[in-house]
Amino acid sequence: MNLCLRRNLLRPSIKNILRSATTTPEIDTSDQVVIVDDTEDTLARELEIEKKRNISRLAPAHFNVMNNRRPYEEPKIIAHLTVKYNRKMYGKYGITSGVNPSICWPSKTDIQEIQEYEAVAFPYSIPDMMHAAAQKRKDEILRIAQRDKEVAAKFEKLDQWKKELNAKIAKKAAEVEAVKQKKERLIEEVRRHFGFKLDPKDERFQEMLAKKEKEQKKKEKLARQEAKEKIMFAKLQQQNADSENASKKSN
Amino acid sequence: MGSRQITEKSLAMLRSLPRISLANLRDNPGAKKNTKRGRGQHGGDKHGAGNKGSGQRMNYMRLGYETGNNPFYLRMPHEPYYKGHHLRRQYPPLSLHALQSLIDKNCVDVTIPIDISTLVKSGFYNFFPDQKHFGVNLTDEGADIFAAKINIEVQWASEQVIAAVERNGGVITTAYYDPHSLFLLKDPKKFFQSGQAIPRRMIPPPDAIEYYTSAENRGYLADPEKISQERLKLSQKYGYTLPNLENEPQYTMLCERKDPRQIFYGLEPGWVVNLKDECILKPKDKELQDFYAS
Repeated sequence: MNLCLRRNLLRPSIKNILRSATTTPEIDTSDQVVIVDDTEDTLARELEIEKKRNISRLAPAHFNVMNNRRPYEEPKIIAHLTVKYNRKMYGKYGITSGVNPSICWPSKTDIQEIQEYEAVAFPYSIPDMMHAAAQKRKDEILRIAQRDKEVAAKFEKLDQWKKELNAKIAKKAAEVEAVKQKKERLIEEVRRHFGFKLDPKDERFQEMLAKKEKEQKKKEKLARQEAKEKIMFAKLQQQNADSENASKKSN
Repeated sequence: MGSRQITEKSLAMLRSLPRISLANLRDNPGAKKNTKRGRGQHGGDKHGAGNKGSGQRMNYMRLGYETGNNPFYLRMPHEPYYKGHHLRRQYPPLSLHALQSLIDKNCVDVTIPIDISTLVKSGFYNFFPDQKHFGVNLTDEGADIFAAKINIEVQWASEQVIAAVERNGGVITTAYYDPHSLFLLKDPKKFFQSGQAIPRRMIPPPDAIEYYTSAENRGYLADPEKISQERLKLSQKYGYTLPNLENEPQYTMLCERKDPRQIFYGLEPGWVVNLKDECILKPKDKELQDFYAS
């Protein structure tokens, strides 16, 4: 029974397929006058037919989206009342979305807020920034030039400084050497005095060394005094000679 | 008959024993897990945590900690040239060779001005404004074989690249876009579908102003007079004759530039583009006009 029914159902579709496969042109029926029936009754019937044709089993919102309509005509959640959502609806579905496009622009308070933000985020104008950048570049160049100058001036003096430093080092070394020799000589003298090798840590040795050092100091002192007297004497002589000359001249 | 006695005895014992039931059955060994931790003789000792260490103390150490050693991530000395690297502007490169191949493959239309939007649309260049990418750096690889006459706007270009473009009679501009504008340029369709008015392009930050105002870099904020002087200077430096722009048939195309506040070619800030209705809405309110003109 069932099978029979199916066969009956299939028949027209097979016919259609065959018709579309044929190359014979279809009979043009455009000459006939098309009568559009728009009474309430027929419209309702059409609507019902449309409803029956929709076998997608999609939710109404999804069906709308699939057919390029906005999903909901009435707001369902709080988010559907926001400006952002309404702008989106207008952007996506155009004027058919029923949204007034004036909401696409910021409101007066929005503009104020944007301006306030921009005043903080971009505090300098372009000419200001250009000026500051130029100044910074100039300062940097100046700094480098100054440093170069400094280095050049120092480089000129470098040879002299080197010489001075070397002389200083040599002098210091010579002084150290002299002191060392003096000490050695003293020790040698002490040894000669005793006539045999004596440990420098020995008490007698130390005593003798102190004595010798004292003598040496005395000698040095004397020498210095003598030198001083010599200078004084020379000075006096010079003074005498000068005074004599002066008296001669005055005579 | 001793055996018989035994049988009877055992049978009697069996009869006296209780029958097997749930009350006298015991779990299989190991089937039951005790949630409590035994103390002392009742399974105390280590409680199954092993002997010493992380197993017992549960001190799973932080990543990179080397139990008192100088950790690897601190062993390297201070490297100040990386200072602020996470804040620096990045310009993902596109070589002149790649651009030439795009033009040869007809992925880029050279009869209209090219900007980063065009490059992204070609499908062979991409960038991510949210990852500090501030646009395209046109590099000089393939400068010798570059042979297209174009009006291109990039975000960074070297002297060689400028010379390569201008030698062929083209025009190059370096322009700054703030990240928000770059999002719009990367996906204009998405922006237009959001139903917002096109915003204004923001001005460059202080550390980029020098680049975008200098004529040597063909900055978009530079004086056009100075740019033409620099074009001549560069041609003399690299030894090519500068083609005269005014005699070109595409003169108007080559002269097209964006306003410093403009994001898209041909679209001004403040306009609303509706792709569904294929229309452009322009503000008429004086206040809005002033705001978008500022």
